[in-house]
Amino acid sequence: MADLRVTLCGKELKNPVIPASGTFGFGREFNEIYDISVLGGVCTKGLTLERRAGNPVPRIAESRGVILNAVGLQNPGVEAFIAEDLEWLKSKTRVFANVAGSTLEDYAEICGKLDGLVDFIELNISCPNVKCGGMAFGIKPETIKAVTRAAKSSLKQTPLIVKLSPNVESIPLNARAAEEGGADCLSLVNTFTGMAIDIERRKPIIANNTGGVSGAGIKPIAVRMVYEAAHAVEIPVIGMGGITRAEDAIEFLLAGATAVQVGTQNFTDTLACPKIIEGLNAWCDSHGVNKLSCLTGKLELN
Amino acid sequence: MREVTATILENKQIAEEIFALTFACEEKIPVRAGQFCMIGVGAHPLRRPIAVCKAEGERVTVCYRLKGEGTRTLASEYKAGEKLSVLLPLGNGFTLDKKQKKIAIVGGGVGIFPLISAIREFSDREIRAYMGFRNKAAVCMEYEMLRADKLVICSDDGSAGFCGTSVQAFKEDLFGFAPDAVLACGPTPMLRALKAAVKGTGIPTYVSLEERMGCGIGACLVCTCKKEDGSRARVCKDGPVFEINEVEL
Repeated sequence: MADLRVTLCGKELKNPVIPASGTFGFGREFNEIYDISVLGGVCTKGLTLERRAGNPVPRIAESRGVILNAVGLQNPGVEAFIAEDLEWLKSKTRVFANVAGSTLEDYAEICGKLDGLVDFIELNISCPNVKCGGMAFGIKPETIKAVTRAAKSSLKQTPLIVKLSPNVESIPLNARAAEEGGADCLSLVNTFTGMAIDIERRKPIIANNTGGVSGAGIKPIAVRMVYEAAHAVEIPVIGMGGITRAEDAIEFLLAGATAVQVGTQNFTDTLACPKIIEGLNAWCDSHGVNKLSCLTGKLELN
Repeated sequence: MREVTATILENKQIAEEIFALTFACEEKIPVRAGQFCMIGVGAHPLRRPIAVCKAEGERVTVCYRLKGEGTRTLASEYKAGEKLSVLLPLGNGFTLDKKQKKIAIVGGGVGIFPLISAIREFSDREIRAYMGFRNKAAVCMEYEMLRADKLVICSDDGSAGFCGTSVQAFKEDLFGFAPDAVLACGPTPMLRALKAAVKGTGIPTYVSLEERMGCGIGACLVCTCKKEDGSRARVCKDGPVFEINEVEL
């Protein structure tokens, strides 16, 4: 039985496995299948100040080894989350509230509403599917710094994670910009903007035309980006992108991640996260690793 | 709902482009009429949502049309004896109250399969079923549909039964039968025609919708439909069955 605990911004997680935003709702549905208190934490569906209806359907498509989605931040609004789901979710595990906005003021306001109530705030500045999903902030270092500062200005207690987009020129520059803006942690990667076409209809499958690409096929790119980010900053990094099993999670840890998020695999297998946690334990046991967190950043380049 | 590793008992073609897949779960799974399952197919990251046609104890039958890569893989690579990863039972299913004794069932295309589960479940009611097929070669599972008190097979080209759509056949019978409820599933144009046909009659009409899905359990908000009040409902969790006037088609 290895020690799977990790510490993120001074807070202990029982293990480093966290379902990624948008794949897990607020945890209630998955909790009907397994007790989600086994998870290191849960990252919520992206929250906005007001409720949002999201994009037209179809919102999802599949391609070899990946999926594309364009849900468009459908959510009940931050107040409804706080009133109806937060207390329950906190009783289960660490809560990572993913938040999005369309202006600096939105980000500051939503962070202010959640400060002290959740364990972590993950700033979504990289949703590729809506105009107001913050993507405008997530491309250039200057705007990343500005939005991070705005969010940080309303946070007195809750650590701030900035979720980076992969659809950018330089991951290291953007990672440093977030750190300079006051981020306590980074998470990456969000989805890659893509398109899948129905050749019979000669139309994109997704109503939004483009969608965010995720799943096993993006993993090598994500690992490289996590490596670059982790080596550009002093703050911890949460890695994600195509994790389907424990061995994938270990790749991200070696590349420099302190914890990992699992997204698409929750659709392929609703038990993906608990299986990955068990797999991490088994891998550590068979490799003589007593403490999983010791693997973080232990990559040796050729 | 639960994650099941099932064993395939049979996976065979029953009509043009239509396959019936029967699998055995490790234990008895209670499935209501109109509920569905998510089936994992090969290396595809998304599972395929498919309506349950028949559930008896631990045995479940689903029927699917060869449509894309997933269903083609399912048809060609999954043989009897092999394991299948299934999440079930999902969705709300059809519910009727005891006072609803005369039931009209209107189906088209692969929409007939969840309705077969309704014919089985509500066999204590008086059921008239109107089932639409493209042509004679597409007709299947007649022996299951014959459990209805009256069965009208419809075909677009007249090669089997009534020449026309199942909604047309239903309309011709509507005032003679005066059903207490209508259960329906089929392509969206068919459901729109049905909505027009029952408009003003006051007959509660329940339709099962289809949408591309992600998780299948209500968490990811991928498969939503628009409700008449402007809000959005999850097809997988709040549906797939909705009162026809409640949703935009």
